[in-house]
Amino acid sequence: MRPGSTLWLLRHEMRMFWYTNFAGSKQGKRGNANWRVVGGALLVWFALHYGVFALLRSVGPAAGFSAGPFVVAVTAILLATFLFMLSSALKASVETLFDRGDMDLLLSSPLPSRSIFGVKLAGMAFGVAALYLFFLAPFAHVGLLLGQLRWLAIYPVLFAMAVLAASLAMLLTLSMVRVLGARRTRVVAQVVGALAGALLFLLSQAGNFLSQEDGPAASAMAQAIAAAQSLDAGSPLLLPARAALGDGRAVAIIAALGLLVATLTVRLTHRFFVRGLQQASGSERVRSSAAPVRYRFDRSLSAVVMVKEWRLVWRDPHLVSQVLLQLLYLLPLCFIVFRRDALQLWAVAGGLTMLCGSLSASLSWIILKAEDAPDLLQTAPASTATVRRAKLAAAVLPIFALVAIPLGWLLLRAPLAGCATLATVCGATLGAALVNLWTGRPASRGEFKNRGNRDIGSRMLELSSLLAWSALASLLPLVLGGAPVGFAIAGGAGAAAAIAFGTLPLAWMLRYRVR
Amino acid sequence: MTNTPALALTGLSKSFGRPAVDGLDLTVARGEFYALLGPNGAGKTTTLRMVAGLLAPDAGRIQVLGIDLALDPAAAKRRIAYLPDDPMLYGKLKPTEYLEFVAGLWGIDAGAAEPRARELLAWLDLEKHAHELTEGFSRGMKQKLALAGALIHDPELLILDEPLTGLDAGAARQVKDLLLSHVAKGGTVILTTHILEVAERLAQRIGIIQHGRLIAQGTLDELRVAAPGATLEDTFLRLTGTA
Repeated sequence: MRPGSTLWLLRHEMRMFWYTNFAGSKQGKRGNANWRVVGGALLVWFALHYGVFALLRSVGPAAGFSAGPFVVAVTAILLATFLFMLSSALKASVETLFDRGDMDLLLSSPLPSRSIFGVKLAGMAFGVAALYLFFLAPFAHVGLLLGQLRWLAIYPVLFAMAVLAASLAMLLTLSMVRVLGARRTRVVAQVVGALAGALLFLLSQAGNFLSQEDGPAASAMAQAIAAAQSLDAGSPLLLPARAALGDGRAVAIIAALGLLVATLTVRLTHRFFVRGLQQASGSERVRSSAAPVRYRFDRSLSAVVMVKEWRLVWRDPHLVSQVLLQLLYLLPLCFIVFRRDALQLWAVAGGLTMLCGSLSASLSWIILKAEDAPDLLQTAPASTATVRRAKLAAAVLPIFALVAIPLGWLLLRAPLAGCATLATVCGATLGAALVNLWTGRPASRGEFKNRGNRDIGSRMLELSSLLAWSALASLLPLVLGGAPVGFAIAGGAGAAAAIAFGTLPLAWMLRYRVR
Repeated sequence: MTNTPALALTGLSKSFGRPAVDGLDLTVARGEFYALLGPNGAGKTTTLRMVAGLLAPDAGRIQVLGIDLALDPAAAKRRIAYLPDDPMLYGKLKPTEYLEFVAGLWGIDAGAAEPRARELLAWLDLEKHAHELTEGFSRGMKQKLALAGALIHDPELLILDEPLTGLDAGAARQVKDLLLSHVAKGGTVILTTHILEVAERLAQRIGIIQHGRLIAQGTLDELRVAAPGATLEDTFLRLTGTA
């Protein structure tokens, strides 16, 4: 392979992808794979192959895949997949432009910008497609084994979709850099990326909280579904689904479309990409302000620590969007619960508890584990216990403020169930925060999204606590309702309580071992 | 009490598989500007991190201004400041907010902290950047802000690890002036540096450390007694055998 060629650069990009996702974390062994992760993934992958083998053998080759409703359903799934891909691609394009990595080195080299852009785009597309290939490629492999060649279409269709998503995301991000400026783009692209992933989920739930009598929005949705079902089999809108289901002509069109878009994007916009990178590299420059400098030195140590933590979180829009995304996923629950006449106590209690526990897990991880300047805290004479208590408070207080109104409403509407929910909300919030306080290793904020990969033990404890408190919250209104309950509900509540309370001593015992 | 040294290390040892600091004895008097030199991996940073309370020694004793660090770490930390080579800053805080946070950690009274913060930001030419987030700062600006944070509680003993790395000539001059002014007011400065000219011009005494041990110590004249007229660089290379 000729050094400096596009293929050589592509190999470098793939090597970087491997290091980023699978390299061991021990210093001095960066190139070695994290074999536990790789082995686990391979094991799951082979198991998937086996499951797909059983499925395809039972379904057989002619399973009515070309039926109208099935094609519409596959179209909906592909649309969802594309939105998720777009979301990942937007994040990847922001990382490429702003976190840069090796971009400064590449741009200062004599390599043509077209090659660099093309390889970066290919790397993004591969990264975006990887997750879906992991789950869907077994269909292609097993299909080949069973002589059901239609499944091989998964590869070209997924790659074409990933290339489209990567090209679209990169063009969107570059356009935003041009129009909004580099600083705003970073924030907007990250938020749009997070919302794009959640958008389809919310749309899919729209049917649950809208009905025909809810007016134009609901009927428009019903009309859209009906229109999709009445589409002609040859409609271009159904082309991706037909390609995914193995229609040879559709596969050729989709693959050609992907290739064409990628080629045009690289050929026509590589200079635009370089200009975007140049603009992005100056993104940290800020205009000086002539406003008078004001200080607040009169705060206590606890207040100083809490204010600092809130500022750090609030000023990181990427982090905020990732944390608040969880709220977005719980919105449909609120619609269901509050629009019905009969109050769904079990759902309100469980939903609120899960929301608080989940937010607490995220915030406490960021605040307690991801300390940017641990040496500064360690060299200070401030009491470690006071600092940790203040950090704990900084993590849980915003959550209590957030649920104060719905909890207050619940306490007025159903006092007994409200008290029980208050207890489970407190339990879930403090439980997740204490697990993060006691277990796990220090990390950087950038690792937030992949925090589960670093501290599997800590994450398992956190999840156990969250699920147990949520289950307990859902079951308690039934137990306290006065009506006789069966053994299953009473036993379930008891087991949930045991796990919820048992997690804390376990976390306490594991605190040094995990660290 | 005033005769007690600013720093006294006795038999200090630390090993990371192989010895990083090996039975180090070192005394730095109050009001002294002391430079600790040594080749890469000699144990300079490990020594300073133990003094700052970031690493626990395997053996030996650390006394800071007469206080045993192991017995009363909080009292010792209250009177020292440590500036690592890689500044510890929060990218999403403004310089003023960073100083407020550091002042809070050291429990400084608002009446004393505010004029001190204003004075330091003005001295280090950071006032005009007071409303910016530090994530946009250059390395030199970050280093200067970290130094302002280290000085805000007016420490009696200031420990700096490579404080001039990455600074331009103007910023380096500002930092050197600030350090000399600190010593002139009775404070003690201990620094490590690879820029021998800095040690030559600023330090009253120089210690040379290799393989975790102090191999030479004294004033510049005392160090070059074997080769009068030699530069510190010549002397350093001869002593460490790296010439």
